Amino acid sequence: MKSVTKQGRRHFLSSLVRVCSFAFFLSRKSKRTKFFLLFSFLPAAVALIIRFHQVFSEEKRALEGTYAFSNIIMLFYLQFIILVLALFFGTSVCSEEVEGKTLPYLITRPIPKSAVVIGKYAAYTAVPIGMVALGLFLSFAILNIDRLLSIPLYKICFQYLGVLTLGLISYSAFFTFLGSFLKRSIFVGLLFSFGWENVIQYFPGSTQRFAIVHYLKSFLPSSPSGRFSFLTFRLEPTRPEIALLALGLMTAVFLGLACLLFSLKEYNLED
Amino acid sequence: MSAVIETRKLSKWYGNVLGLSDVTLEIGPGISGLLGPNGAGKSTFLKLLTGQIKPSLGSVTILGEKIKNNYAIFSKIGFCPEHDSFYEEITGWEFLTQLLSLHGFAASEVKIRAEKTLEVVELSRDKDRLVRAYSRGMRQRLKFAQAIAHDPEILVLDEPLAGLDPLGKRKVIRLIKEFKSQGKTIIVSSHVLPEIEALTKTIILIHQGKIFATGDIHYIRDLIESHPHLVSVKCAEPRRLASMLLTEDYIRSINFGPDSKTLVVETKNRDKFFSLLLSLIVESRIDIEEITSPDDNLQAVFDYLVGK
Repeated sequence: MKSVTKQGRRHFLSSLVRVCSFAFFLSRKSKRTKFFLLFSFLPAAVALIIRFHQVFSEEKRALEGTYAFSNIIMLFYLQFIILVLALFFGTSVCSEEVEGKTLPYLITRPIPKSAVVIGKYAAYTAVPIGMVALGLFLSFAILNIDRLLSIPLYKICFQYLGVLTLGLISYSAFFTFLGSFLKRSIFVGLLFSFGWENVIQYFPGSTQRFAIVHYLKSFLPSSPSGRFSFLTFRLEPTRPEIALLALGLMTAVFLGLACLLFSLKEYNLED
Repeated sequence: MSAVIETRKLSKWYGNVLGLSDVTLEIGPGISGLLGPNGAGKSTFLKLLTGQIKPSLGSVTILGEKIKNNYAIFSKIGFCPEHDSFYEEITGWEFLTQLLSLHGFAASEVKIRAEKTLEVVELSRDKDRLVRAYSRGMRQRLKFAQAIAHDPEILVLDEPLAGLDPLGKRKVIRLIKEFKSQGKTIIVSSHVLPEIEALTKTIILIHQGKIFATGDIHYIRDLIESHPHLVSVKCAEPRRLASMLLTEDYIRSINFGPDSKTLVVETKNRDKFFSLLLSLIVESRIDIEEITSPDDNLQAVFDYLVGK
């Protein structure tokens, strides 16, 4: 009995790896990836503008590199870029197969349906993480070009990347669930991203704990200060270990639900 | 005949809509044609066989194994979907190798199988072109290729000839027959009788979610041929033509159309009628403008057979 379970687990894992590499390959080739790769470089363009401003401005109070990185670029990523990336990649885990009517190619292979969901989720999360990492390092380098040899600065950069990675993992799981469940998942996802997530985090008391971004902000390495601090303030921050647990739990629950729905639901591929 | 596919009281409802009702069948090796008009339940039946949807009632057994939660069985099944849908942004080669890799073959094995299959479907020369640049016939053959590349025991083809030109149809028919010659089990669905006739003698007639008849195509042909057939003939001398046709016992009725040039003939033997009409055109020099058959489709035949 034990060996059967072990064999089943091994089969599931190998299926998952196969689907992940299949989805990663498709993702590399898709126009969507090319478009969002450019999109994820938006903060680098902003960083470039800030940098030009720093160099050519006659104002003495030009923004300092780390400050600009923490307060502008990070917010750009945290409250906009990762949400958009997770929304478009996450919802398409299931919905692109249904809308493109390619679902039969996947579900008539010797692969468990849950491996299809998790494998595609893994690939469709890894791709945006790669995009964000590239854009983030580029922005970081542009803003701190005169201090690139300062090792402690890289620690901050990696910490921020960690937060964004956690964000992409959790948001993508939520949007994967949404995509497996709803037909118009993008519209609902937009409402969630720029309605719920961007509003509820500023509510006092426990309400803000119903937003994923609240837990992400609990990991931000430096306390916000200056004129942009109103965007990052945390009324009642959650301890990082609790925040990690909450994000992990949310990811597991949403992915579990997505797998369950994908296995049970019979998608209509008709026009 | 040893059954490769068995269904027992297989039924499927989509809410209140009946998709398939109480289908008990045994399908053996060779080609079986699933014939029925649009909306008859062909695709529902094939989706149930390939585990894409779950039955509301009843069961499916493939090679003695249940299909429910049995993912390993899919290495023995090849499925060619009805929709003309692909991952469009990749090449034919990439499409095939990526889908093959989902079966767990090693990279070298994937390459060998893909090369061999593309050769079989005559797409080797076009393998590096994007799928979206393929013609309809090439796309259909690529769909067929992904279904056979892993060398399945059973091949399920949902309308594989739909939308193809005669040459394209001939190529796909040849491919299906070649696959059959390897002793495999093939189920082909279509709503066009001559397409099925070109492939097999064993057919399953499906209508309104029910299996209406199974067996040899000649039996079905006889059933269909007994269906009184309407043929509309537009000619310069309809009355003269009518007088020549009236003597034949297989002509059930003749009516004149409102334009006084059209003759609507009801016959119980379509083939005999057409051969007579041909001889009259040649021998009696009847000048025909147009011949149409208002109910020359499978739906009309099925409606007749089920007594509508």
